[in-house]
Amino acid sequence: MIRSMNFKCSLPSIMAMGVLATPISAEESAILALEGDPDYGEYLSSECLTCHTGETDNYAIPPIKDLPTEAFILALVDYRSKHRENPAMQMIASRLGDEEIAALAAYFKAQQTE
Amino acid sequence: MKLNRRHFIGTAAAASATLSAPMVMGASHGKPRVVVVGGGAGGATAARYIAKDSKGEVDVTLIEPTRRYYTCFFSNLYLGGIKTFDDLGHSYGTLASEYGINVVHDYAVGVDRDAKTVALAGGDSVPYDKLILSPGIDFIDGSVPGWDVTSQNAMPHAYKGGSQTELLKAQIMAMPQGGTYVMVAPPNPYRCPPGPYERISMVAHYLKANNPTAKIIIADPKEKFSKQGLFEEGWNKYYTGMITRIGPDFGGENTSVSVADMTVDIDGEVIKADVVNVIPGMKAGKIAHEAAVTDGNWAPVNAADMSTKADPDIYVLGDSSQQGDMPKSGFSANSQAKVCANAVRGALTGSKVFPARFANTCWSLIDTNDGVKVGATYEATEEKIAKVDGFISQTGEDAGLRQATYEESEVWYSAITEDMFG
Repeated sequence: MIRSMNFKCSLPSIMAMGVLATPISAEESAILALEGDPDYGEYLSSECLTCHTGETDNYAIPPIKDLPTEAFILALVDYRSKHRENPAMQMIASRLGDEEIAALAAYFKAQQTE
Repeated sequence: MKLNRRHFIGTAAAASATLSAPMVMGASHGKPRVVVVGGGAGGATAARYIAKDSKGEVDVTLIEPTRRYYTCFFSNLYLGGIKTFDDLGHSYGTLASEYGINVVHDYAVGVDRDAKTVALAGGDSVPYDKLILSPGIDFIDGSVPGWDVTSQNAMPHAYKGGSQTELLKAQIMAMPQGGTYVMVAPPNPYRCPPGPYERISMVAHYLKANNPTAKIIIADPKEKFSKQGLFEEGWNKYYTGMITRIGPDFGGENTSVSVADMTVDIDGEVIKADVVNVIPGMKAGKIAHEAAVTDGNWAPVNAADMSTKADPDIYVLGDSSQQGDMPKSGFSANSQAKVCANAVRGALTGSKVFPARFANTCWSLIDTNDGVKVGATYEATEEKIAKVDGFISQTGEDAGLRQATYEESEVWYSAITEDMFG
């Protein structure tokens, strides 16, 4: 069994992302309306997985694989617009267009339902 | 000929099969074959991603002499007493059992580019359609006068993970009270730009607790170094008076050693030392030179897919490559491996190939819970891998941020080693 597949989404992981009970912006809605390419998302996700592991109780870099799609998109949009702190994530998100964020969301969502 | 529906479907299916046929399947053998030499951050990642994503369509062989891989990254934290040696060790078992990779524990000693085979020290010959070399670094002969690889037991480099790291730690622990540790720092370009200076921090961390009157001297041929302001701020704060760096303005580039006398000569001043950590100038791992894909010390590559300028079927990842702006680091090698894996799989199976994108972040620990980082993103241009954007920790940051940065590095270590070894 691949260890990284074992992680189950936990409330603390979502809370650590600070995304509960936040209204959806027009920017997020536009991304949610896109049909992301999961193959492209799989390729892009490899950049995420250098730092994000599903196997951790250390939320300095939180698990992301099992985040709800809306929360996942919101986090990237907020880093991209520099409304959330962390220079590494701001830098990574700054070169993700809407298509890339939608592709990542589509890939991780497909992984969750497999 | 009149086409009926059944005939049309059959024809279309045949045409489709031709379009998606693997480009190398015209060869007389079955599945396309990828051979990866070197099981570190570049090679293990490339092997795993090609095997994982091709879902059995590609035969992947990984050639790596060691059965258990000890990372060079984080090895300074072992020297500082913050991590154990076991924390650095990883098995290839999952790559073999879960991903079907043929893991061969042997040395690759030659490449026949015409026959497309890799020769192993054990005598076997392994055929390939695509060859990925990720052999890390070797040292330049004569880089530090008086030192060669036969001196590494007396004066360790500890710049390849494993027994050298253990040896240096043992030597530091055996230093007499008030003894002297000398590092001969490497010239550019070299693996892990902040590595020597994180090492100084971690050696000082250990000595402060166990040998507080000991001295640390750095003979450095470089005028400046990675994260210099951050390290110097930390050294003044935590290790006041313990560390002296002699740069080229004071003769640091004119350094030689005597293994027999355990001395270091820095521009005519001879220092008797208890530990001499010689980190010589570096070049691509030997197999890259054997394959004749190097130009000077390194292997020039195309940024779009990490293929070598010399041979489109041979790729070079990580430290050995000459690619442009990325630092030589485990993170960089891992990033390059994913671009390469996507391109190689596409070439062999017709799968989608996406534009190259690269990233790197290097964390360094200065003292307990005082971590700093530097990072950047990169893109492929015709000329090189070119920097797009970047960030670096700032001097004067508060303790909470520094602790959070260190904790990030711990998660990153878990993630990247999982990404490499499954």
